[in-house]
Amino acid sequence: MMPLLVFRERVKNFYQRYDIYITPAVKFLFAFIAFRTINNEIGYDARLQALPVVLLLSLLSAFTPSAIMVLLAALLSTLHVYSISPILSIIIVLILLILYFLFARYTPRFGYVMLAVPILYFLKIPYMIPILLGLISTPVAIIPTSCGVIIYFLFQIIKSAVTMQVNITAEEIMQLYKYVIDSLIKNRMMIMTMVVFALILMVTYFVRKMKFDYAFEISIVAGALTSILGFLVSDLIMDNSNQILSMILGTIVSAVIVYGIHFFKLTLDYSGVEHAQFEDDVYYYYVKAVPKITVTTPQVNVKHINVKTADRGSKGTVRRQELDMEEDYDEDDDITVDKSQDYK
Amino acid sequence: MLNNKKIRLMTKLAVYENKEGKEDIRLSKYYKTDYVRYQILKSIISATIGYALILFMIFLYEMEYLIRHAVDLDYKTLGTYILGIYIIFVAVYGLGSAIGYSMKYDASRKKLAKYYKLLKRLNKLYNEETPES
Repeated sequence: MMPLLVFRERVKNFYQRYDIYITPAVKFLFAFIAFRTINNEIGYDARLQALPVVLLLSLLSAFTPSAIMVLLAALLSTLHVYSISPILSIIIVLILLILYFLFARYTPRFGYVMLAVPILYFLKIPYMIPILLGLISTPVAIIPTSCGVIIYFLFQIIKSAVTMQVNITAEEIMQLYKYVIDSLIKNRMMIMTMVVFALILMVTYFVRKMKFDYAFEISIVAGALTSILGFLVSDLIMDNSNQILSMILGTIVSAVIVYGIHFFKLTLDYSGVEHAQFEDDVYYYYVKAVPKITVTTPQVNVKHINVKTADRGSKGTVRRQELDMEEDYDEDDDITVDKSQDYK
Repeated sequence: MLNNKKIRLMTKLAVYENKEGKEDIRLSKYYKTDYVRYQILKSIISATIGYALILFMIFLYEMEYLIRHAVDLDYKTLGTYILGIYIIFVAVYGLGSAIGYSMKYDASRKKLAKYYKLLKRLNKLYNEETPES
């Protein structure tokens, strides 16, 4: 364990020093993966598939807020569908608009979730999202997760609808429209998935909130178990037994990834260096505020209350210390904001 | 001469102002009732747009039926249904956003109180620095 902890401190230090470069780079990578996945799955328009276009879009989203990336992805997929069937693209836009006006606009910070769910679905590890959100946010995140699930299934339907070649007669357009709507509304699989995702998120969240040692780690395991059980039941009900193996593997991989994220806890917004600019009557200040990271090698406090029980409880204290380690700039710090809570 | 204590305070304030403070400070320009009312209005409008879109999609879906029965359709019941569901819809959204946004406002007020405390301390530092004014 020790080398890992030291490694973590190194990574944190590295991240803090170079965070201006790392954050855009990571965003670029994510955007690139997202756009590539979209191109692979519904790349009907060869022009948009070209590498320069993808690179340009990724570069654009590397330096802009994450909402822009979501918007670009929506635009890209709509354009892809538009190139093969304008009617289907209109249906997509309509449904996306409904989702936005009724649900998504209330959770603006989770916009990226709606993009991440479909993308991770194609990478076979969508189970990561509810576990991770249960870990770092509140049950409100159920809304964007459900929207993401709807979007994924919508595009699945679109993919099969595209194969039905349609002429421009009104009757056939209506048929196509009815087909899409029917298969979206009567999709039991989608509703099951939404329910199970919500369940995973709730279980992870409430276990995480409990007050015992290793609550975070146990909550990840609990979330993963909920996911396996939930999807096992839903797959058996849906008679979908060929997906069970990939579902279990996907859940395990997701749980491992979430554990990794939790272990490094590089929650991008918070652990980085702050750059601030301000002035007073005499000076301009360009301040770089580096959060204090106290442990390079973790300090273990063993309290000898009583010689016999001296070897107990040491691990618990370490863990609590890690949790309490927030970025205190100095002694009379007043604006340390509770990170885990205020995600809404 | 550089005053380290002041720089530290100002840094903290600036960091807060640039990040989560942005939203809090924006909220602080409203009275609570004004803010909540404005947000309710916005969510009612967006709920209306969403409802209209859903209606439009249902209309498209049932277009054949509607056209075939255009003459002998019971428009009165249909209208009542559409209006009734709309009222429920808007009521749910309005109420929900009233509760949600007033909670949000209170939370941001709490954070702002700390910010003001720091500002006051900074002000005191300034006064100590230039006692003649």
